[in-house]
Amino acid sequence: MKIAEALQLFLWLIPDALYMFELLLQKINEKVPITPEESAVCKTFFIPKKLRKKQYLLQEGDVCKYVAFVEKGMLRSYTVDDKGTEHIMQFAFEGWWLSDQFSFLTAEPSVYNIDALEDCELLLLTKPAEEEMLVRVPKLERYFRLLLQNSLIAIQRRLVSSLSHTAEEKYRQLLASCPGIAQRVPQHMMASYLGITPETLSRLRNPKNRKV
Amino acid sequence: MAAQKTIAIIGATGKMGGAIAKGLVNGPNRLLLFGNNQEKLSGLLSALKETKRDTDAEIIGCSVDASWEADIIIAAVPYAAEATLAEQIRAVATGKIVISISNPLSADFCRLVTEPGTSAGEQLQELLPHARVVKAFSTNFSAAFNHTDVSGYKLDAFIAGNDDEALLEVAELITEVGFNPVIAGDLTFSRTLENMTLLLINANIRHGYKGQAGWKILHN
Ligand SMILES: NC(=O)c1ccc[n+]([C@@H]2O[C@H](COP(=O)([O-])OP(=O)(O)OC[C@H]3O[C@@H](n4cnc5c(N)ncnc54)[C@H](OP(=O)(O)O)[C@@H]3O)[C@@H](O)[C@H]2O)c1
Repeated sequence: MKIAEALQLFLWLIPDALYMFELLLQKINEKVPITPEESAVCKTFFIPKKLRKKQYLLQEGDVCKYVAFVEKGMLRSYTVDDKGTEHIMQFAFEGWWLSDQFSFLTAEPSVYNIDALEDCELLLLTKPAEEEMLVRVPKLERYFRLLLQNSLIAIQRRLVSSLSHTAEEKYRQLLASCPGIAQRVPQHMMASYLGITPETLSRLRNPKNRKV
Repeated sequence: MAAQKTIAIIGATGKMGGAIAKGLVNGPNRLLLFGNNQEKLSGLLSALKETKRDTDAEIIGCSVDASWEADIIIAAVPYAAEATLAEQIRAVATGKIVISISNPLSADFCRLVTEPGTSAGEQLQELLPHARVVKAFSTNFSAAFNHTDVSGYKLDAFIAGNDDEALLEVAELITEVGFNPVIAGDLTFSRTLENMTLLLINANIRHGYKGQAGWKILHN
């Protein structure tokens, strides 16, 4: 048997369970190294969930029961205004977390929708599961604190950016913070995220109009 | 509008799997159908679409993938097949509702093959320690799903489980299917429920109910 064939056979034999948590454990370990035993405990708290493109994880009016970690695929959260226009709050790529924290923490109905922009493999954590996991693996308190810190910074930046930056600056900042986004997200959604019209975005994307 | 639930039916080609699927199209559910007999699966899918044109249902070729995608997993397989199934889906069942419908009957229907101090429902929970196992549909004949009203009464469907939220979600599914849900208690009540079916089956054979029978608690 050729090596490539042998490798394929080997990969095929690995049960999904082994790679289902690969990225999550990698991300946790980047911030807080945990032992194999602690990893095993962690795995018992996450709900593995596949979501197809266009399916919802959360719909406006429902309570946000989960925080979602994206192992594969991409999610977005958005609101819909009175005129039916979508306003994208956030994209979440592989290795990112997404939820409506307000609804998750208060159990009040959410004003957001979260849906899949690509077929997704997610790991979902409920509030009770999160609490119990933090008791069992206290090191993760630090991990979640760092996550919240980073997300607070990101929100502050986004606020400043939307209040005071030009369309071009906002676009550049988005490309810098999410490399590859332009290849995966349709233009009208990037425009919705930036709060500019698709026409403005397409002007910005045209190299001829670019200020160097 | 209630959020859509994705429900995997493992053993959709069986009498119970098919009956449950046909009942669940009444709710805002997306059904993932798994079975070994492809012909029966396509037949079921057509029947579902006939019942409700915009039925959201799909045949999935792998029980693990179906369970991975699902919010709720229904193990509509014989008792003897549950341990192997549990082994296969364990990693993707964490946190999910897994419905145990089986009655661990002996081949001659005269007794249960489980020891007195346990039940098929509790055994499935032991095999899937991180899932939320709920015993449901086990006290209802597959033949009664089309006729949930008997002698002017809506038949009861008993549920047992250790997670209150899971019990309420399953009660909702039972209402969609057309029975009256009755929460019996925690998962140890599976023992009683499985014995109730033993009694019902024997009465059915002895008195010729032809499956058009079921349990009903009368109360004021
Ligand atoms: N029939 C009733 O009225 C009734 C009432 C209450 C509860 N139950 C319980 O419901 C369950 C199903 O009963 P049923 O009457 O629907 O039986 P059934 O018609 O014989 O169907 C059994 C189903 O399980 C699948 N299956 C059989 N052996 C399997 C194995 N080793 N591994 C994986 N899948 C397997 C079959 O798939 P393929 O045929 O595609 O291989 C089929 O889909 C049983 O546990 C029974 O105790 C039945």
